[in-house]
Amino acid sequence: MDEPRSDLKADADERAESPDFESLTPPRELVRGERTRDDFFDAVLGLDSPATISDIADRAGHGTDAAREYLEWFERMGIATQVTESPATYERNQEYLRWRRIQRLRTQYTTDELLEYLSAETERDEEYADRFDVDSPDAVSITAHASEVDRTVEDVWEDVTAWQTTRRRIALLERAITTGSGGSSEERTAV
Amino acid sequence: MTDRSDEGASADGNGAPVDFDRLDLLAERLSTDDRFTQVEATPDFAPDRVACVYDPGFYPRSVREARLEIVWFENGDFTVHYHEDHAEGTFDHRWDRHPSDHNTRDHVHPGPDAPTPGTNVSHPSDWRDVLSTVLTAIEERQRGFWTE
Repeated sequence: MDEPRSDLKADADERAESPDFESLTPPRELVRGERTRDDFFDAVLGLDSPATISDIADRAGHGTDAAREYLEWFERMGIATQVTESPATYERNQEYLRWRRIQRLRTQYTTDELLEYLSAETERDEEYADRFDVDSPDAVSITAHASEVDRTVEDVWEDVTAWQTTRRRIALLERAITTGSGGSSEERTAV
Repeated sequence: MTDRSDEGASADGNGAPVDFDRLDLLAERLSTDDRFTQVEATPDFAPDRVACVYDPGFYPRSVREARLEIVWFENGDFTVHYHEDHAEGTFDHRWDRHPSDHNTRDHVHPGPDAPTPGTNVSHPSDWRDVLSTVLTAIEERQRGFWTE
């Protein structure tokens, strides 16, 4: 990154009270959690396909014995799912993460608020469908659309990801709202 | 139901939704840090980013505000934007991983105007490494304010 322009730099007076950068937590430590558990949680959260125990141990920066232990625990907690037996592979349990998010929506907002959000998101969804003239963001080819309407790929990508996010929110909100009338054990299989 | 196979399809060039779980985790880690006076994950219901405001103590008076905005998507795409407000003008630097017609998927838009096209780079694959690289680069710039 560029150096600050000289006219922006601290003057002599200000320099007398320079900030203490040395006391800051180094970035490498900051972005990692403090515990071994955090390393494994991060490794599992970062998986986009099933991974072996030794692969997950590598990603977490710990040994395979610890990996096996944490993966078994995560599986019991619903964070990870074992996909194959031999070799044992695991993936992140997306369904659990969704379920946890839905629970959080239900504790943070009232049903009326959730309904309001849902109607705003649904409106947004319709606007995107009109603008792209297809019924789902998955039906948009970003590069083809960009050249068609003479916009940059970057701009179109931004809109399409925002649309994908809107879709994701609608799904979460709908489940949070329908969960309200049912029992808390139902939402894992709801929708 | 939206499941992982749908996400796989979206990752193929139709974009992917914001990864709310990753943003929460990221905000949780950053919120305890002395660099920032404020760290907010998805501040209201709608916004899809973690917004971090740097402690003004790391800057001379010429910098009115500095902030870092972070967005991550479920397919691993991201955009991380560092922004400074000055009495006269601004400074921006962006680290990006997403499709574009001017750069490779991994690229940066360096200051002062974060121009297009940016510079092709290769970001680390682990989000934590990307973020620690970003924080280190910002710290280097901050230190630069205090040298003659």
